[in-house]
Formats: sequence, C-alpha cells, structure tokens
Amino acid sequence: MKRVILPIALLVSLATAGEQFAMSDADRAMYKEMLENNPADIYVEEGGELLEENLGGEEALAKFLGVSEKELPKYIAGFPRYIKKLGNVVGIDQVLQAMQVEQGKEKTKLKDKKMFSMLAYVKSLANDEQFTIDINANEQIKASYDLGKKTFETARGGRGLSCLSCHSKDIVGQVLRTQPLPDLGEAGAGATWPAYRMTKSSLRTLQRRFQGCMKNALLKVIPIGSKEMVGLEVYVSTLAQEKKKPITIPGLKR
Amino acid sequence: MQRNIQLLAFATMFVTTTSLVNAADLTKAYDMPDASKMIEKDLLAKPTKFTMPKGCVKDDAASIARGEFIFHNLNGKKAKGTPPEGLVKFVEKKGKDGKVKKKAKQYGNCVACHNIEGAKGGGNIGPDLTNYKKTFIDSKVRDNAFVFQKIADPRIDNPKTHMTVNLTTKLFTEQEICDLASYVVSDKSKK
Ligand code: HEC
Ligand code: HEC
Repeated sequence: MKRVILPIALLVSLATAGEQFAMSDADRAMYKEMLENNPADIYVEEGGELLEENLGGEEALAKFLGVSEKELPKYIAGFPRYIKKLGNVVGIDQVLQAMQVEQGKEKTKLKDKKMFSMLAYVKSLANDEQFTIDINANEQIKASYDLGKKTFETARGGRGLSCLSCHSKDIVGQVLRTQPLPDLGEAGAGATWPAYRMTKSSLRTLQRRFQGCMKNALLKVIPIGSKEMVGLEVYVSTLAQEKKKPITIPGLKR
Repeated sequence: MQRNIQLLAFATMFVTTTSLVNAADLTKAYDMPDASKMIEKDLLAKPTKFTMPKGCVKDDAASIARGEFIFHNLNGKKAKGTPPEGLVKFVEKKGKDGKVKKKAKQYGNCVACHNIEGAKGGGNIGPDLTNYKKTFIDSKVRDNAFVFQKIADPRIDNPKTHMTVNLTTKLFTEQEICDLASYVVSDKSKK
C-alpha cells in the first residue's frame, strides 16, 4: 500500500500557526507521529480484503468497468464518472453496489463503514495519479459538474449560508472560530479523502465530509449518493485537479 | 452425447438470459436518493428589509445579557453555563411522526467571525466589533437601525456579504435580533 505524503507546506503552516488556531503543540506532535503511521491504513487494508472476498478483487472490478487491470488506476482517477450501464454519473461506492447486485450479493449501504473502507481501497489504487476528470467528455458529466457547482453556490438553511460563503477565493485563510478556512483546491480536498479524521477518530469519505460542513452550518444534510452529492464531489475534485494535486489515500485530517 | 449437447445449449441460453436481465437491471442496482426536494425546501429567501420595532435596541441589562449569550455561543448543546433569563438551551419540536423531541436551541455564534470584548477564539471573517459604541455609534457612522438590519439580513447593505442571515431565515425572532443589536451597541468599557 502506498503511504500518504503530506505537503511540506501544510506541515509548516501547521507548525507555525498562531495561538488562535485549534491545534495545540501536543496535537501537532501527534499529527506528525500519525503521518508516519496513518491509523486509516488498516481500514484501507480491510477494504482491500472485502473487495477481494466479496467481489473478486481488482480483476473483477476492472472487468466490470471494461478496462484492463493496468488501466485501472488512471480510470479510477476519473471518478465520479458516467458509467453507461449504470445510466448515471456515479461514485466508486455506487459502482461497488452495482457489482454486488450483479453478483447476487447483498448491497452494502453507501454510509456503511465497510463501504467507506472499500471505497478508500479502490480510490487508493489511483494513488500518485492526478485526477483525469473530463467534464466535457459527455453531457452527463457536464450536467453533474454544473449541478455540483450550483449546489456549492446555493445559499440555504437556518443561517442562509452556501459552501461558497466559507470557501470562496476571497476569504480563504481567514479564521472562522479558530479554524483557518481552507482553499479546497490547494488543500487537495478531492484527492485526500477518504481520510482519517483525527477529531472523529474514524475514516470519513469526501461526501461524508460535505455532510459535516452542512450540519455545522445548519444546511439541511443531504444524503450520500444523491445527484447533488455526486455533483459536489465532481466539482470539488476538479478543484484539486486544477491544482495538479495527486491522489493520496488515505488522507489525514485534523 | 446428444443429451449432453442439449444440456450445454440449455445452460448457455440460461446464462446469457440471466446476464441480459442483470445488465438491464443495473441502472437501478445502486442507491441514488433524491435530494432535490430537501434542497428546494431549504432555500434562502430573497434579501428582506425589516423595520426596527419601537423600543428594540435598549440599554436593558436583561436584553443585553441575552444578546451576549447568543453572540458567544453556537447552540444550547454546546453552550457552557446557564443561559440568562428569557433564553433556553433546548426547545421542544414536534417531529413528522408527531412525537415531541428536544432540540438544541441554535444561537448566533457571531464570535466565529467577529472579535468583540471578551471573545474566546474570535474569528476574523467579519470586522472586529470591539469598542463598537464609541467607534461607530457615538461617531454617528452607524445607527441602531443599521445594526438591526445588518443582523436581520446583511444582504440589504451588502449583497455579496459572507455574513449569516438571521431573521429572514426565521432562525431568530425579532426580539432576539433586538437583543443581539442591544449587546453589540452597548457600552462595554465599564465591565
Ligand atoms: C460556516 C462555514 C462553512 C461552510 C458554510 C462550509 N464549510 Fe467546508 N469547511 C469550513 C471550515 C472552517 C473547514 C476546515 C475545518 C477543519 O479544519 O476541520 C472546512 C473544511 C471543508 C472540507 C475539508 C477540506 C480538507 O482539508 O480536506 C471540505 C471538503 C469542505 N469543507 C466542503 C464544504 C462543502 C461542500 C460545503 C457546502 C455544503 C461547505 N464546506 C460549507 C467551513 C465551512
Ligand atoms: C460567517 C461569518 C459571519 C458571522 C457568523 C457573523 N458575521 Fe457579522 N459580519 C460578517 C462580515 C463579513 C461583515 C462585514 C461585511 C458585511 O457587512 O457584509 C459583518 C458585519 C457585521 C456588522 C456590521 C459592522 C459594521 O458596522 O460595519 C455587525 C453589527 C455584525 N456583523 C454583527 C453580527 C452578529 C450579531 C452576528 C451573529 C448573529 C454576526 N455578525 C455573525 C461576517 C459574519
């Protein structure tokens, strides 16, 4: 399994961040230690075993997707993508569900921890690759990107906020209660989830992370796998793609 | 022999038809829940101009205390200490199933974006509101009505604002906006 290499810049900024930030020196020491040994590695490994035992491993996955095993990493780096036989732009997790159904197995729920592990494993096959999402490849992916961008910019909920309220270019780096607002592209968000979330002591996926922001900001939390969520994932992943951030799974987050 | 071939042919037919059925089924083989209606119901209404009610912003200790509590806390579950009179930590809400549930009351968490007297971990997305009375009210740069409208719906003054909308969304009552405004413009120098 490939290990996550965290950008030096991030480490430096964490190390020099002032008092007002939430990370204490002790936290930072723990963070450094965890970098060497990401607790999520075991979930990724478990995901690989589940895929092997439950579905026939990479070979079966490549076959299902109609690519060779050699092409698999680059192909995975293009997710979420339009899969004709599924009729939609889908995430890796939804592909795994379809494989389960095709093989007569019980479908694992999208929000199930086992699904998070399998998703993390499959995405880690594309480690070190850059995203290969082509939003002009077909009208379906174009529509998904547009819906994702729209969802990102739609103000709603009890405080009238949108994702853009806190993640627009003009306020990146400013401080929201002790948290510096990240540039989602620069942070490589799309390329570093599934990640181990230290504050939650668990493996979380990108869509699960979106739900976290929705809950905190009082936006009605929408379900994983919905067209809007997949669109958000497409949109946020292209932000990492524009910044040429390589896929590094599992990530490690505060 | 003859029988074997027949069997084989039958088996092949069986396999191809099942896989054909499966192939057709795969468009429904995964979960893709609908979120569009949830979002539709959750949308933010247009920028709304409010008239500040009479006696809204006042030098009343109880009102200022409520404003202060709302300003510095996120919600009743996370808030430390007892809320001042007239403010609660939990509200009861009737769910769709008719059952009454206790839900944490949402507060302003204004401190997430603003520094102000006594702020702990104040953010800097919004301007520093320290010394607000002296700097903005006494100097007549702002008045109470401006502060009231800003908190109620900041988009009237600034359509591109990053600030939260608090009255148009019905997160707060008019009284609570008055409490917040009273707190912001209050003289905190003697405290
Ligand atoms: C009220 C402010 C606010 C809103 C609204 C908001 N976010 Fe965030 N978001 C943050 C902050 C602050 C962080 C960093 C938190 C941390 O470091 O733990 C963050 C982190 C993230 C991350 C993780 C970045 C990383 O380092 O990998 C993602 C992804 C994200 N937000 C997406 C979204 C999406 C999608 C929405 C809208 C549905 C949204 N956010 C709405 C404040 C917000
Ligand atoms: C997500 C960030 C954010 C939150 C939360 C927030 N504000 Fe603001 N606030 C801003 C920004 C940005 C401005 C300046 C730009 C503008 O006016 O839109 C501002 C401006 C103001 C002003 C006007 C200052 C002046 O005179 O120019 C007041 C008063 C104010 N906020 C009060 C509050 C109160 C009370 C709350 C909580 C109910 C609150 N704010 C919550 C971001 C925020």
